[in-house]
Amino acid sequence: MSAAPEKFGQRVRRREDPSLLTGRGVYLADLIRPDMAVMRVIRSTQAHARIKRIDFSSIVHDPGCVGVLCAADLPVGIGTLPAMDLAGDSAPVHQRVLAQGTVRYAGEPVAVVLANDAYAAEDLAERVIVDYEPLPSVMDVHTGSQAEAPLLYPEFGSNIVHQAAQRVGDPEGAFAAAAAIIEENFSFRRLMGSPLETRGAVAMFEPGSDRYLLHSSTQIPQVLRTELARITGVSLERLRVVAPRVGGGFGCKEAVYPEEILLALALQKFGRAVYWIEDRAESFSATVHGREESMRVRAALDADGIVTAIEVDCLADIGAAYSLYTNTPSAAVATLRGPYRTAHFRSCARSVVTNKTPLNVYRGAGYPQVTLAMERIMDLAAGATGLDRAEIRRRNLLLPEQFPVDRGVSYPGCGRIVYDSGNYPALLDSTLEAIGYDGFPARRAQSASGISLGLGLSFVVEMTSGGGAEPARLRLLPNGRLQLLSGITAIGQGSETTLAQILSDHLGIPADTIDVLAGDTDDSPGAPGTFGSRGATMGGNAACQAGNAFILEARKLAAELRGVGLENIDWDGGMLIERAARNEPQCLMSLFQQAEARGFAPTERLSVTARFADTPVGFASACHAAVVSIDRGTGVIRVLDYAVTHDCGRVANPLLVDGQIMGGVLQGLGGLLFEALEYSDTGMPLTQTYMDYVLPTADTAPRFILRHIETPSPLNPLGMKGAGEAGCSGAGAAIVNAIADALGPTIPVPGGSGPFTPALVRDILRNAQLEENSEC
Amino acid sequence: MIEESLNVSMTVDGAQLHARVRPRYLLSDFLRERAGAGGVHVACGHGVCGACTVAVDGTAVRACLMLAVQADGTHVQTVASLGELEGDVPAGRDGLTRLQTAFREHHALQCGYCTPGLLVSTALFLSQRKAAARSATSCASPGRASPGRACAGRAEILDHLNGHLCRCTGYANIIAAIESVLT
Repeated sequence: MSAAPEKFGQRVRRREDPSLLTGRGVYLADLIRPDMAVMRVIRSTQAHARIKRIDFSSIVHDPGCVGVLCAADLPVGIGTLPAMDLAGDSAPVHQRVLAQGTVRYAGEPVAVVLANDAYAAEDLAERVIVDYEPLPSVMDVHTGSQAEAPLLYPEFGSNIVHQAAQRVGDPEGAFAAAAAIIEENFSFRRLMGSPLETRGAVAMFEPGSDRYLLHSSTQIPQVLRTELARITGVSLERLRVVAPRVGGGFGCKEAVYPEEILLALALQKFGRAVYWIEDRAESFSATVHGREESMRVRAALDADGIVTAIEVDCLADIGAAYSLYTNTPSAAVATLRGPYRTAHFRSCARSVVTNKTPLNVYRGAGYPQVTLAMERIMDLAAGATGLDRAEIRRRNLLLPEQFPVDRGVSYPGCGRIVYDSGNYPALLDSTLEAIGYDGFPARRAQSASGISLGLGLSFVVEMTSGGGAEPARLRLLPNGRLQLLSGITAIGQGSETTLAQILSDHLGIPADTIDVLAGDTDDSPGAPGTFGSRGATMGGNAACQAGNAFILEARKLAAELRGVGLENIDWDGGMLIERAARNEPQCLMSLFQQAEARGFAPTERLSVTARFADTPVGFASACHAAVVSIDRGTGVIRVLDYAVTHDCGRVANPLLVDGQIMGGVLQGLGGLLFEALEYSDTGMPLTQTYMDYVLPTADTAPRFILRHIETPSPLNPLGMKGAGEAGCSGAGAAIVNAIADALGPTIPVPGGSGPFTPALVRDILRNAQLEENSEC
Repeated sequence: MIEESLNVSMTVDGAQLHARVRPRYLLSDFLRERAGAGGVHVACGHGVCGACTVAVDGTAVRACLMLAVQADGTHVQTVASLGELEGDVPAGRDGLTRLQTAFREHHALQCGYCTPGLLVSTALFLSQRKAAARSATSCASPGRASPGRACAGRAEILDHLNGHLCRCTGYANIIAAIESVLT
């Protein structure tokens, strides 16, 4: 026993780092062996077409070809991928394992070729002939939702595959009585999480067995295992899925994908271990997209600047089929009011299918869009009423004494939205001070000629820690080390460090005697996985619950070994102490060895399982502020300073939480200033490389000022709320408000996510100039 | 297309390798598949992201943009040779170099996929700046120059880092880590 226990709240350095810094991290690509076959996916080159013919004849006799598969080769009954219907009434527009009959997006898997090496696989795939008969395509939600639009699924009679309406109070009455009405349209572009490690998977049989072992770079190994069983008919017992170290997820790896199923089927058919690694160009059409939606928001104001009512209509462009969830793109619309009291509310969200890659969640899952829309409305309301932007927010914020707050709406799949905890005015005060709000007019006055400075604010309130009950196992090894088996897959968030830290604090034992293992379905049955800012809260509370069970078992065992009652044995920092006895405290290794020697089966008895209950979701909150500069000559926008005051309840490890915030902010920044997945009018994806999809680089990083306010969540013993998405969800809103502030009140800013490239900014400035010079 | 295999020889992290490879075989694949250099991460394959960066005869190279046959007769160093590239003997329990320790201290990595390539090119950047510091005239911030220390201003660090994409960290901690080894 070397070090002291780590404390909850300490800035603990990561245990993951030594292997990652030395290049020894084991990612999916590190599992490939020379004797494995490689799979290459032949993808649709058409947005919408009938498949007339797939011709493998030129390759099937090639000695380098291990095998081919198209839809006709799949076992009967294998058709579609799962989509959890959060609403219960969505039209079943499911993605297929392989396209049959028609293709509905460019990039849709049509067939696969297996070869001995990746170079040969690419060559062979190029020789497969697929004949298409093009069909008219639907490339935007406005035309796609019209009655005369071409249909992707004629059997459902419409491209609108889901709609949900919610209302609170009397919005019509509030609008009728309004002193002012603000209205704005928003267009959110198609983005993607684009982790640096693309997707990939390896299927093999476990050595010496007929049990399937699928390694996949996934956030949700357990869900993947369940769906593999359902789709392939292989029994659950014969399926094991393992997520190795995952090189970034961001929601991209939170789906069950055709390639994962195809690898298992290829293994079944050809009996040979086989892998697939997505290449970057492929990833832009093969991995889920996020964000794209079109929104119209109206707000009613009274004479004091109180937003009395909000109405929102949203059309979400979900692409050609649902991915893992049926309607998350539009679900967050119901939470558009964020931190504001606004008593009356009406929302209508519709999901529209188009001939594009399926849309799923991307970090923030709807919150970046609703936050941007609501926060633009607040700035427009400030402009209309003449109130200061901070002041109008302050007047509308929910107050600490109002918690818990039932918002009168529900989030599909997660029930009624009740804000559990928060102190929004304190977040606002802290952030205004951090960004230098009061001194900003003086700073602006000193900006260089041709440079405009602007400051923008935003508020995020978002659902975290959902996804269902979380299991954890804790077991003692003969050497006295504790193993925590967690379902929180490691995708870069430092969960091993955080979970070990929380458990070390809870048990009072040094963290370096705890090993954390995650990602193996054999170890964590029923684990939902890593997504939705849930890992630290759910994994941490589950670990503590397992810790409690472990302490009890250890005390029981010690009591039995000594022939005393349980009440006589205390746990103290990993030592078992017999009350009122003079013998030495016993360490865990000694307990294990003694129990082993006396036939008390410590391996079984000191292995405990816990399940942290499916609690209501906790709502984290944050107030963001950005200062930007705009070069009016070049149109270049720079985010200079960025302040966030964040409330995720009790902070387990501020070092890692700050890392999540900064990384999230930069993703939000990228989504507003640089990124967009472009399609041609005929549905050809135009974004193929990182030269087209421009990720933020180091010179775009602002100076960060990060703060925390802790209002503990009453929903879990540790008082935690999630932290993974708040940075991303608030950044676009704060930055676009800062851009509008820099341009000034006479220059309208397009509603939505831009992207605000230099070209767009120069267009905005040029149009404003034309307007000004116009005589009529 | 030339399919005939050719002989290549190179040292990879100090080990001498001889192999017959087809001309189109990428250096990144050669390093991963033939040299067992798992620290060479391929993230884009288009030379944009920098994750596969290695040192070829002391120059930073995108291993995904070079053919193995082009590297014939060279010395290739990956993240496994970081101590050599930094001129720093890894010490301490974790066996980390000064730069690796700075990255850990500043939480300059999350998923770690971009990290090895970034470390290699940063080590090369620092040794260039060290050379510049010796000839003091080219140092952008002479006040910070000291014998044997690299010297670089924030603008030079950003210019260097712009050759790498990181999707996780937001860069601020990477910049802080590099600044910390400079001061």
